[in-house]
Amino acid sequence: MGIGVVVGVLGVLILFHAAYSTIQYRGLLKIMEEEFSGPPMNVVLELLLGLVLSMWAGLTVPGNFLSIHPDSEENRIVSLPANLDFMIFNHRGRVFPLEMNVKLKN
Amino acid sequence: MVTKTEETELISLENQVDNGGGGAWEYLCLVRKLKVRRSEKVVKHGLSILNDAKKRSSLGPDDWTLYEQVAVAAMDCQSLGVAKDCIKVLQKRFPESKRVGRLEAMLLEAKGSWQEAEEAYASLLEDNSLDQVIHKRKVALAKAQGNISGAIESLNKYLEIFMADHEAWRELAEIYVSLQMYKQAAFCYEELILSQPTIPLYHLAYADVLYTLGGLENLQNAKKYYASAIDLTGGKNTRALFGICLCSSAIAQLTKGKNREDKEGSQLQSLAAIALEKDYKQRAPGNLPLLTSALRSLTLSP
Repeated sequence: MGIGVVVGVLGVLILFHAAYSTIQYRGLLKIMEEEFSGPPMNVVLELLLGLVLSMWAGLTVPGNFLSIHPDSEENRIVSLPANLDFMIFNHRGRVFPLEMNVKLKN
Repeated sequence: MVTKTEETELISLENQVDNGGGGAWEYLCLVRKLKVRRSEKVVKHGLSILNDAKKRSSLGPDDWTLYEQVAVAAMDCQSLGVAKDCIKVLQKRFPESKRVGRLEAMLLEAKGSWQEAEEAYASLLEDNSLDQVIHKRKVALAKAQGNISGAIESLNKYLEIFMADHEAWRELAEIYVSLQMYKQAAFCYEELILSQPTIPLYHLAYADVLYTLGGLENLQNAKKYYASAIDLTGGKNTRALFGICLCSSAIAQLTKGKNREDKEGSQLQSLAAIALEKDYKQRAPGNLPLLTSALRSLTLSP
């Protein structure tokens, strides 16, 4: 968790730095009166690195993935709940009372 | 709905609690969440918490829920004294509550005083005529008295108002099955599959009903629903695999006269048989000879 947050912050910082470098580069181009042909190499590298780091953080920090397969262990339904709203009390439990002498103390 | 992971969790927690390993409150919470009927254990462990003043006060306001849970479980175990004490405590704390009134009526039910219980439910319904739980209790009351047709009638009336209540549909289906009224039961299971299509157990129950009804068309439909149950469980449901084998052989028997080769059907059957054999080899090697002889008799009979 801690590492994930640090990496995510680092990734966002790198993205900000890339934005800053781009602005600086465009300012430089204006001064040198050259045409913009493409972003410089270091900005592209920073963008890619920032993308990878933020994506990794975004996938690990919020938690694990849950299975969506109906037949996975987490989703496979093996028994229905006892229909407790319709439970009736005159069953064989009446003949076999609970052998326990504990009472509610108050 | 109880999934496989939750079932394993419940079993391990139950073992831990039974062997005095603690975690009784977590166990009771899980029982309540999964709505399983473990009344004896709930009474035992619930009382041990309630009788321990320190443990009870650590629960905070949750202890009232526990009183209710223990009361119902005690009624189920016929320890009416415990149930009465729990209800008395709740009554003192919530004098006007409908929920406690319901518990009192249930206590009358557990005692077997049907007439009084019915009057209690009727007076509760006067205050709130749309209380679903009380309507359901009335159905259960009729069922407990052995008045199955009355139970069916009031359940049908209830379902006209609350059509989305799948538990009631399931109850109705089970009552119909117990009376061998399979056509009506099939209708209820259709309704259940429509409302919750991802639960394999409804597909399985529907297929069982269709298979019991018999006839070529029903058998073919039953096979389809067994297949969908296998699809939803990833082939881990033994009953569905057996169902495929039985349906295939029954269909083969019915269509024996007409020389229509049903290649797909026999293929499905052999696949199901292979899956069954694999499963038995893994989990119950001792019963494998029984299985192979049963499967052989199924394939040889047509």
